[in-house]
Amino acid sequence: MARKKSATEAPALRASRKRDLSPDPYDIPEENETPKRRKRSEATVAVAADGSDGDENGTIEASNPTIQLTPAKRRGRPPKSATAGTPKAQATTPKRRAQKPLAETPIRLNGTDTPSRRNIADRSARRKSARALIDRVIGGEVSDDEVEGGDIAREIYESSEEEDEEVQEEVAVGEGEGEEEEDAQEPETPSKTPGRKRRTTTRKRSPTPPRDLPPHEQYFYQNKPGLARTSNNTLSSLNLLTHDEYFTIIRQLKDPHAANVTSLESFHAESFPQWAFELSQGFSTCFYGYGSKRRLLHNFATYLASQDPPTQKIVIINGYVRTLTQRDIISTLASALPSSSSSSSSSAPRPTTLQSLLTTLSSLSPPTITLTILINSIDAPPLRRPALQSLLTHLASHPAIHLACTADTPDFPFLWDAAQRASFNLLFHDCTTFATPAPCELDVVDEVHELLGRKARRVGGKEGVAFVLRSLPENARALFRLLVGEVLVAAEEGQGGGGQPGGGGGGDEEMAVDYRMVYNKAVEEFICSSEMAFRTLLKEFHDHQIITSHKDSIGTELLSLPFRREELESILEELTT
Amino acid sequence: MADNERNDASFEEEDHRVAFIFNAPNQTLDSPQASKLSGDAHPAKRRKTTKAEQQETEQADSSRLSAAGTGTTFPVLFNGAESLEAARLRRELFERSWPVLEGRIQRVLREANTNTLDEVSSFLQQAAETETDKLTAGFIITGPNIASQDLLFEQLAERLRTAAQARFVRLRAAEAPNLKAVLKKIIRDATARTADEEEGVDVDVMTQGGRKYLDYDLEVLHVFLKNQKQQQHQRRVVVAFQDSEAFESGLLTDLTALFHSWRDRIRFDLLFGVATSVELFQARLLKSTARQLYGAQFDVVQAHSVLETVIRTAVAGTQATVRVGPALLRSLVERQQDQVAGVQMFVSSLQYAYMCHFYANPLSVLLTDAAVLQRREGGGVLQPEHIQAVRTLDSFQAEVEAAVEARQLGHAQSLLEDDDYLVARIREQGQKRREYVLQLLRSLHLVVSSGLSSASFTDLYTLALSSGIAISQASGTVPLEDAIKRVEPDEFLALTTRLLSAIHTGSPDLGLDGWAAAAEDVVLSLTDLRDEVEGLIERSKSNNSTGGPNKPRPTLKSKYSAQSRILRTTVVAQKVQLSHDSATLTDEDKAYTAAIDTLYALLHETIHCAPAITDAEHNLFLHEAWFIDTTSTSSSSSASLFRDIFVPRPGATFARALARPHDYLGCACCGRKKRKGRGDRASGPGLGTVLGTSPATAVLHQLLLETGALVNVADLWTAYSALVAKQGQSGEDGEDEDEDEDEGRKRELLVGFYRGLAELRVMGFVKGSKKKVDHVAKVKWL
Repeated sequence: MARKKSATEAPALRASRKRDLSPDPYDIPEENETPKRRKRSEATVAVAADGSDGDENGTIEASNPTIQLTPAKRRGRPPKSATAGTPKAQATTPKRRAQKPLAETPIRLNGTDTPSRRNIADRSARRKSARALIDRVIGGEVSDDEVEGGDIAREIYESSEEEDEEVQEEVAVGEGEGEEEEDAQEPETPSKTPGRKRRTTTRKRSPTPPRDLPPHEQYFYQNKPGLARTSNNTLSSLNLLTHDEYFTIIRQLKDPHAANVTSLESFHAESFPQWAFELSQGFSTCFYGYGSKRRLLHNFATYLASQDPPTQKIVIINGYVRTLTQRDIISTLASALPSSSSSSSSSAPRPTTLQSLLTTLSSLSPPTITLTILINSIDAPPLRRPALQSLLTHLASHPAIHLACTADTPDFPFLWDAAQRASFNLLFHDCTTFATPAPCELDVVDEVHELLGRKARRVGGKEGVAFVLRSLPENARALFRLLVGEVLVAAEEGQGGGGQPGGGGGGDEEMAVDYRMVYNKAVEEFICSSEMAFRTLLKEFHDHQIITSHKDSIGTELLSLPFRREELESILEELTT
Repeated sequence: MADNERNDASFEEEDHRVAFIFNAPNQTLDSPQASKLSGDAHPAKRRKTTKAEQQETEQADSSRLSAAGTGTTFPVLFNGAESLEAARLRRELFERSWPVLEGRIQRVLREANTNTLDEVSSFLQQAAETETDKLTAGFIITGPNIASQDLLFEQLAERLRTAAQARFVRLRAAEAPNLKAVLKKIIRDATARTADEEEGVDVDVMTQGGRKYLDYDLEVLHVFLKNQKQQQHQRRVVVAFQDSEAFESGLLTDLTALFHSWRDRIRFDLLFGVATSVELFQARLLKSTARQLYGAQFDVVQAHSVLETVIRTAVAGTQATVRVGPALLRSLVERQQDQVAGVQMFVSSLQYAYMCHFYANPLSVLLTDAAVLQRREGGGVLQPEHIQAVRTLDSFQAEVEAAVEARQLGHAQSLLEDDDYLVARIREQGQKRREYVLQLLRSLHLVVSSGLSSASFTDLYTLALSSGIAISQASGTVPLEDAIKRVEPDEFLALTTRLLSAIHTGSPDLGLDGWAAAAEDVVLSLTDLRDEVEGLIERSKSNNSTGGPNKPRPTLKSKYSAQSRILRTTVVAQKVQLSHDSATLTDEDKAYTAAIDTLYALLHETIHCAPAITDAEHNLFLHEAWFIDTTSTSSSSSASLFRDIFVPRPGATFARALARPHDYLGCACCGRKKRKGRGDRASGPGLGTVLGTSPATAVLHQLLLETGALVNVADLWTAYSALVAKQGQSGEDGEDEDEDEDEGRKRELLVGFYRGLAELRVMGFVKGSKKKVDHVAKVKWL
């Protein structure tokens, strides 16, 4: 290699190489110059570099010999490592590099081994991308669209690189030595170098992303392959919260922003007359923004009620209640209507379908009554079903029905298509409240545990159960007590199996009891007299998700309670006292 | 937190119920209301972009009064100084002006579909008479907007029920997931009785002879129709697929086959609403299915022409008491086009503009009758505040300045100082407004009916409002000069006739009556001109005929017409001679030229209109009382008000709340280090001002922004606890805490962490990931 010649060429080459690196929009342009990075790459290469690249130019070629870190390879390529050490020697004229790869790479690759079909395909894609990369280096100018194409090319090049690594090594080993081979290898080395380099950089770059990226760019940046590296830390050392602990702490916790939240809410409250006016003009209103708007809506209801009580009925629908059904909504609405004694059919049953509800509403002879429907969390999962949304659409389009709703997620506009949107006739108001969602709206502990893949438990632990049971008749409570007792006994017996408390799913399933057995006991204790009654009671529990049932392999129905042992014990304690 | 818990207890029982009837508690409202009464407007709200400033402050100040006072009136403006009467008057004015317009709009919308309705019903009628073994199918090309289909199908249902005595079933793809569900719905809707029909058949239909039919058995329908002891064609059932593209093609095929097989018992007619084209739709059906159909295609009036009519009627028409300004109108029309929104959306926006105007603009009372516009002492509604407000208006300032410039110093001084004088001017304003609008509309109508301008009415209207109308070629906004001058004699006659009839009949769309009486001289001159040109044409014709065949001349022409400059080629003694033709204008031609000039001068005189508001000179006095525009008030706030009210940007809102909670909370703790460095404007969400003291969700959101697509929750927790704990400690105390306390603090942090994470999940920012233990995946990039 003519040192003299390359000395003049070197700067130009360097420049073009650098350009090759930088077009990646996410790369920090000066990354080659940052001392930290250099240190890193030098460290990886320390063995191969042999200390010979103490000079500035070394950085560019430095990571080239990373391959040679594996001792096996080293023996095959002594001359190469030498050249790598003196980078100037490698800096040839760009022209030569352009021609060689085009002519030689394919032959060589095909000649040395007989790759599988997939390998060939991969490689040809890779070859093309390599060519594209090299062309670009030589072409010098990098236009905008080239940047994108170049990235894809490099992406392809890199993705196949790893698989090909083995093969390449062999190729490298199998190659002869000397000047000519040196040249022949060129196409591989330089194009690989930036690729390699980049990969190490993306992997090791500081996790702080480049700032000021628009969201879509963020998305592509963060979904770059190879970037999703996270540590292997787990939460195992952390004692996860239980419902009890969560509620105990949160009760003591003082929200530093409580005053601000209140004033924000009162600011929204100032718009009540405006909203009422909008409703009266046949619009529906939708309040969106971060924070629970339940209190706001409640206050709005109070305001509305204070306005004109006689002709107005207000129905609040809680969209977040998981057991929500169409029937519930319709029957509540129907019961809100004054009993239609004046209308013809005396024995008319309560309307059960939407149509009958609407006709009842239209046929009300005394001067029209307005039915105001306020919906908490219209975008809550239980309400997201298309059937329910179309029900609401129909309701909203009735002139005597006013509808106001709150939306908690940023994606709520996707709930409706254009036709539904038109019949809702919605006006949107930004009602960011920053208010904490109430426990009924958001079961924090369960949400988090579900998110983490832990088994979630419904109905806010033992307090939820207590609350549910309080609203149920005496014999339901007795049945639940019986059930808890049986489950605990079963758990005691099955202790040998070793269901650890908090161990998740496995433990729960062992604590199941036979349906028949429970029924018999219930009959014995005069809790119920027939299977029908027994089923009815169980249904109630099911609705509140405080029991679960499943069939085992033989088909016996098993009942279990989705609580941990300690919780069960405290529930039992509470029930018996 | 603790407070909230306690307050929540009051309606705790209702929390877990799906739906309940709200009974107003007797005790007064709790904290928010109380603080509302005492508290001043919160600083945070000033930065909210979603509301027009004016409206915002006015409402804020007034809401307490309205809450306390009468329920049905508008809130009292002028910081509470407005009289209840004035507020009530504004409401009355609104109730008088909007419903009129709404009624007209509805009529326009319904009329737009009449043709289609007639065609469809007559087609079905015909099809009923012809005997064919195919199903009758009408393909109604509705265009891409499914929102506007509703009205059409509703009208169809009405029409066919009455005219064709048919059962009408409307199907939407969303309600028809599978064959069974569709059949159920068809049977249910077809057997549902209308109000006047007798009841009680239902039960015995469903259970004939002790057997009960399945509710998706078409036999039910058959029996039901048979029981309807009426004419034969009562057996028809029209099934309309509103958005037929959205139906699964397999389902359509099945249904068609089924209907076809029932043809001998129940007569099904199908209607398909097609958004694209019949060809595309047919391509989705099986050939065998398509062969079972016998159909015709119907076109619906396209949305933009409907919109144009609505604008003519409701925005430009004389009935509109409030003018929607050019910028706002343009933005509304653009939105219609950009978002393929239905006409209904436009109407709603218009309504909202009216609502805003009367609700929040105290000067809207000036739109009432002149009789009421007296000062309060004189029994009217005008208070000192009104007069004061008038004096702050831009248009008032312009008026005074114009008066000073015109050396009418007395007028200017009286305007400024003499309240009675000003009130008198205000009273005149109503008349002036009507005159202006009339002039505007007449000019517009003449331009449109002249047929010389190719611009759409909406464009012309916005142009007229923003920069006036003038037809001169060089400086005018609607350059018609060339077009008029180049007009051919025949066309000249037609043009004058069109203009005359326009003046005589006016425009029913615009609510414009003929104004021949008012513009007598114009009518006279136009008629004269027409007669004259008619005479000229006659004469030139006779000239031609007498002139002999050796002088073949074109008919009448003017010096402006293109032919006058034509090059003549004459072959004289085998040499070609070129000569200009300009010298050959006859006397008739010259007279015609003069006629054209007169016409242009006349039209130039007649068709003109000043812009409503542009600058100081063209600032109609008191236009603020009847003009809503985005430019007239504060620059962009009201445009964004309209945009956000109808098309919200929840993503941006949520991102902002989480990235810069201080914007909303306005708390002391989080606002310290806000707005520094570059990009402090509303910029990328990455540049939040989230500190450790911010709400947990905001902190987590911030951390989440900095992570990659996959997030290790353990690391997130470490980062969170470090960030928040640091803040908390530096804020609270410096004493070294012992282990227990430290642990307690950790658990508190964990509670916050849980809550933040749960909220983020519910809002759809993260979801669980199976890739690694304790990892979550990011799903939203806002």
